[in-house]
Amino acid sequence: MTLLVARRLTVSTVLGGMRAPVIRGLDLSLAPGKMLGLVGESGAGKSMIGRAIAQVMPAGFAVTGGLLEFDGRDLVGMPAAARRSLLGRDIAFIPQEPLTALNPVLTVGAQMEEHFSHLGVNTRAERLARAIAALEAVHLRDAADLLARYPHQLSGGMCQRVLIAMAFASRPRLVIADEPTTALDVTIQARIVSLMAELQRRDGTAVLFITHDLRLAGRICDEVAVLYGGSVIEQGPARQVLETPLHPYTRCLQLANPALSGARRGLYALPDQMPGLRALAGMQGCHFAPRCPLAGDECRVRMPDLAGETRRVACWQPDLTAGIGAGPAPPAVGVRTSGVKLVEVRGLGKIFRTGSVFRRRQTRAVIDVDFDIAAGEFVAVVGESGSGKSTLGRLLMGLERPSSGTIRLDGRIVSVPGEAARRHRIRTAQMVFQDPQSALNPRRRVADIITAALEAAGADRATRAMRASALLAEMGLAPEIGGRTPSQLSGGQRQRVNIARAVCLVPKLLVADEIVSGLDVSIQAQLLALLQRLRRDHAFAMLFISHDLSVVRHLCDRVLVMYQGAIVEQGPVEQVFARPLHAYTRSLLAAA
Amino acid sequence: MILWATLGRRLVTAVPILCVVSVLLFTALRVLPVDPAAMSMPPNATKEEIEAARREMGLDRPLPEQYGLWLGRAMRGDFGRSIHHRRDAGALVRETLPGTIELALAAMAVSSVLGLGGGLLLFGLRERTMEPVAETVTTLMMSVPEFLWALLFIFVFGVALQAMPFTGRLDPGMKLPGLTGFLVLDAVLTGRLDILWSALVHLVLPAVALGLAFAPPIMRVLRASLIDTYHEDYIRQARLRGVSEGRILIRHALKNAVLPTLTLMGVQFGFLFGGSLLVEVIYSYPGMGNLMVDAVRNADLPIIQVVGLTYCVVVLVINSVVDGLYLVLNPRLRPR
Repeated sequence: MTLLVARRLTVSTVLGGMRAPVIRGLDLSLAPGKMLGLVGESGAGKSMIGRAIAQVMPAGFAVTGGLLEFDGRDLVGMPAAARRSLLGRDIAFIPQEPLTALNPVLTVGAQMEEHFSHLGVNTRAERLARAIAALEAVHLRDAADLLARYPHQLSGGMCQRVLIAMAFASRPRLVIADEPTTALDVTIQARIVSLMAELQRRDGTAVLFITHDLRLAGRICDEVAVLYGGSVIEQGPARQVLETPLHPYTRCLQLANPALSGARRGLYALPDQMPGLRALAGMQGCHFAPRCPLAGDECRVRMPDLAGETRRVACWQPDLTAGIGAGPAPPAVGVRTSGVKLVEVRGLGKIFRTGSVFRRRQTRAVIDVDFDIAAGEFVAVVGESGSGKSTLGRLLMGLERPSSGTIRLDGRIVSVPGEAARRHRIRTAQMVFQDPQSALNPRRRVADIITAALEAAGADRATRAMRASALLAEMGLAPEIGGRTPSQLSGGQRQRVNIARAVCLVPKLLVADEIVSGLDVSIQAQLLALLQRLRRDHAFAMLFISHDLSVVRHLCDRVLVMYQGAIVEQGPVEQVFARPLHAYTRSLLAAA
Repeated sequence: MILWATLGRRLVTAVPILCVVSVLLFTALRVLPVDPAAMSMPPNATKEEIEAARREMGLDRPLPEQYGLWLGRAMRGDFGRSIHHRRDAGALVRETLPGTIELALAAMAVSSVLGLGGGLLLFGLRERTMEPVAETVTTLMMSVPEFLWALLFIFVFGVALQAMPFTGRLDPGMKLPGLTGFLVLDAVLTGRLDILWSALVHLVLPAVALGLAFAPPIMRVLRASLIDTYHEDYIRQARLRGVSEGRILIRHALKNAVLPTLTLMGVQFGFLFGGSLLVEVIYSYPGMGNLMVDAVRNADLPIIQVVGLTYCVVVLVINSVVDGLYLVLNPRLRPR
């Protein structure tokens, strides 16, 4: 018996007058009480499947073939009113960005009441009672008080609990969770996942779990389907797919993920990126062939079908997959290139003052922090959002003024006002910002952006052009990228440009704030390899701010663990991760 | 609580703003090459008589001292005498201000209804075949200034169709009840339905002429803001919960999209207050605009000063009201 069935489902859009499929010939079935993971990188079409089920698709996208049924009823052809009565009641959605998925001008109570009224609860008293019960079921305290609050007054984790409460309120038969934990802190992610599992068991709900995280899907799902370029390329029992992938793409994804324990190994960095819709539409043969390390002649001509019984794979030579190796191990860690202290931070503190003249409020963002960074050393700062790790980076760069303490960069105190300190700091340290989309001026050409530091130093056009082409080559970007604007680039390319700008004058210290988060695993692996190569060539030090412990373990020598503004633990990465001393470090590691 | 704190803060900042505006007004008018003393005298007055009048009016003293004198009197509610009308300037403003506020509020109501309704219509027509037509109509509306509408309405509804009155605030022969000066309010308070009807009918043409000129920007902003709002996650999430499209528009989208529109309307109200000037003249509407035009024509400095200050106060009050409304409508501005 199956609840959700897709047969040869195709979703298309129109690009330049040509029909371009986003989902092609998808076969899926989901039984009640089961959890199916849809895994893939951005652009694989995984979110589109959820949207097709609700028929809430972006303008220009439509189901153009195949069949999509829920409980034997055709979801595509059904009248809108009938679909609306299914949505929220029998089929519920949990979104990716909890903070923006609730209406900011309506209270939590108003939104929950609306939902219960949609579910047919007629009296206000009963709606409120049901809302409180639903919030208590997701372990939110003071549920009655929460109803009067607005979404911006809650944390991301609390918002996601509210949304999960709404999704499960009607005891739906199918829940579609689209990256429900991606926007949340690591420690909260684990709790949200176990909450979903608990409610799923309670109600016997079927769950479609959409994620980019192969490991997470392997751990919590019954079955996973791996998507590439709009098609399922591998499907099977979750643990088997995770442990012994049959498709080269799955294998490469597995090898692109750094490990949190065990022997350190190199990462497999897939070249390039997933082709765009236009390229895919005109492609012959296997869509993965251009990036596949094993691709043979046949792969480039004929597209393989998804074949097999419990383990299904779309590959001409799946038996070769296991032979793909991860490449050489990364350079040994824990080795400082010299004993010279590049950064010395003593007693550093930052207090933010907010509120009106009448009611002052203080937030202690960074509290009495001491640490050093040696020349050439990669030091990570880990902690959850609000732990003060970004503020620490901004203090180091002089973007915030310290409330107390000193920062010494390359032998000179820079935590004082004045032009001399500022000049010394920008000569010594450069920053790579988290979100390249907003960190890069959308109206400037890439070549101008990456040589902005030379512009400030008064270099002439020819010098800048030469440096730009050298930098582009170093970042693995094609020369013609220099003439484009950031909006014409992919996320990974933009982040390379972002890094190139910071290393233009080869600083001694790079401060990098979450520079690989939000990128696909294969792109992340490329960037980590790039950072390691840059370190080898230029021997700079780095303060690497991140929430991802496995990335930290792969890249960094030492780690600082921040909790509520203070460094609660620091030491060599291997040592801290193997034998964490502080309770907070232990909870971080347990959640990862 | 936060509402009162915000309004209180507004009040505190209003004092220095008013001071600066009064200084600017005062000096600007004194620098002008007009001599109020000479103008207040009959044409056959001698040089000595004029000089005596200058001394009496304090015009021979240094400018700061003149300002101090004027400010001291103004604080006591004495804004001097109108040179032209030979009456107390403050009293003249008190008589004409309610009429202008009434007109401005009526025009605001017209432009809000047209603007919000038109914005919703434009949004509903997006990416439809009718969109370019609607687009052309709003552009046309936007490019016709309010005085042109005013003249057009007089011609069509007043002269050609003879359907609407187009001079003054009341039918000739009707007496003002004279409580607050707001005719509509006074008529309701005294139960005079005939006056209420007459006042409302007289408001229609000038209010619509003003409102029409201010509605198109509201339409455009609301349309753009609704389109932005529809890209938000919470709209999609509401759809995924099975909320109907009508409910999504009214309850989820409009409540968010109306916020930028509100800012615009606040700014517009100030302009509308000034923009009523021409319309008042065209409709012989006894409001502050007409008073101001007369005052400028006759270099009636006391009137210009007090009208200028009144305008400033009105703008400050509107800003405070908009701030207050913003706090009520946008919970994100309240403390966590």
